[in-house]
Amino acid sequence: MYSAYQRINNIFALLSTCIFALLGAIALSSFVFTADPKGSLSIGSLKVYPGRSPHFKQLRKEYAFVNFEVHADLSPLFHWNTKQLFVYLGAEYTSADGTRNDVVIWDRIIRRKEDANLNVKGRNKYEFRDVAVSFKNVTPAHYTLKYNTMPYVGVLTYSEAARTDNAIPFPLAQERV
Amino acid sequence: MDSIKAFKRLGVRYMLLQALNFAAVIASGLMIWKGLGLVCNTESPIVVVLSGSMEPAFYRGDLLFLTNPASEQYVTGDITVYKVPGADIPIVHRVIETHDVVSEGYVAASPLGQKQLLLTKGDNNNANDIELYQGLDWLEKRHIVGKVRGFMPYIGYVTIAMNDFPQLKYALLGGLGLLALVQRE
Repeated sequence: MYSAYQRINNIFALLSTCIFALLGAIALSSFVFTADPKGSLSIGSLKVYPGRSPHFKQLRKEYAFVNFEVHADLSPLFHWNTKQLFVYLGAEYTSADGTRNDVVIWDRIIRRKEDANLNVKGRNKYEFRDVAVSFKNVTPAHYTLKYNTMPYVGVLTYSEAARTDNAIPFPLAQERV
Repeated sequence: MDSIKAFKRLGVRYMLLQALNFAAVIASGLMIWKGLGLVCNTESPIVVVLSGSMEPAFYRGDLLFLTNPASEQYVTGDITVYKVPGADIPIVHRVIETHDVVSEGYVAASPLGQKQLLLTKGDNNNANDIELYQGLDWLEKRHIVGKVRGFMPYIGYVTIAMNDFPQLKYALLGGLGLLALVQRE
């Protein structure tokens, strides 16, 4: 009854059970680490300029340009099952017609604990524009710094690291100098 | 000649029983898959990453677990799998813009009735996905297959290997079928 086929089958079954049990244990171990680091976020300047949009039906469109400063030490989030962090800065505001918007204007992938202490003074990496043509009559925007922890194996988690204290109003569009 | 003799020795009844067993295994697999899809509210609760546009988070062959709860809106940072009409392969990319449009007939108490415009981008791509939307300006809820909740590396590479080398698939299927018929418990 102990054919070679049966032996191979048994060994394979045992090995795969062990591997999946180990992977499950590693995935569960992530829940033991409950670090929730906070940082600070401030908006330096915010300007709106008209521009040309290549993709949209409205060819003339207003674009916002944001200068921001981020300080956050996210290194406590790195443990043995952290593959990388995806950190992103979003703007939340409501348009003139009531549309609620959340737009990511900057992001960064952090792969090592040594790089996780963020001290960034930057400007938006992605186009920041409204669904409508203009930023006229939109509500002031809150800016948030959020992150997504991505494991080697297991569940993806999301959290917020910083938020501006006050909402920042959009200025009127100015002509390009 | 030898193998035919072996078949004869096993008998028709036994062969039929084995065929039935084989069918039961396939049917229960299908049931589990569809049941999981029902619970997760998505047509494919487990997908294999096919492109490198989300590197270094997801590589080709990694396995993703999806859910698509009907009671939740999408938020920025969510990694979604979407399929736009006209494109054959589903794409795994991250949501970078959400716009919850106030539409006519919208009831404040039901966020589900609300139309949502989404823009996505692959972490490893420089530009957003507008070029991939086949003429659409925005992605909408109906295009989205699910939201990535869990991750397991490499396991899905088997299916990629089988797609790239079809001989492997036929060899595996044939081998399994033969074993199921011939093998005696």
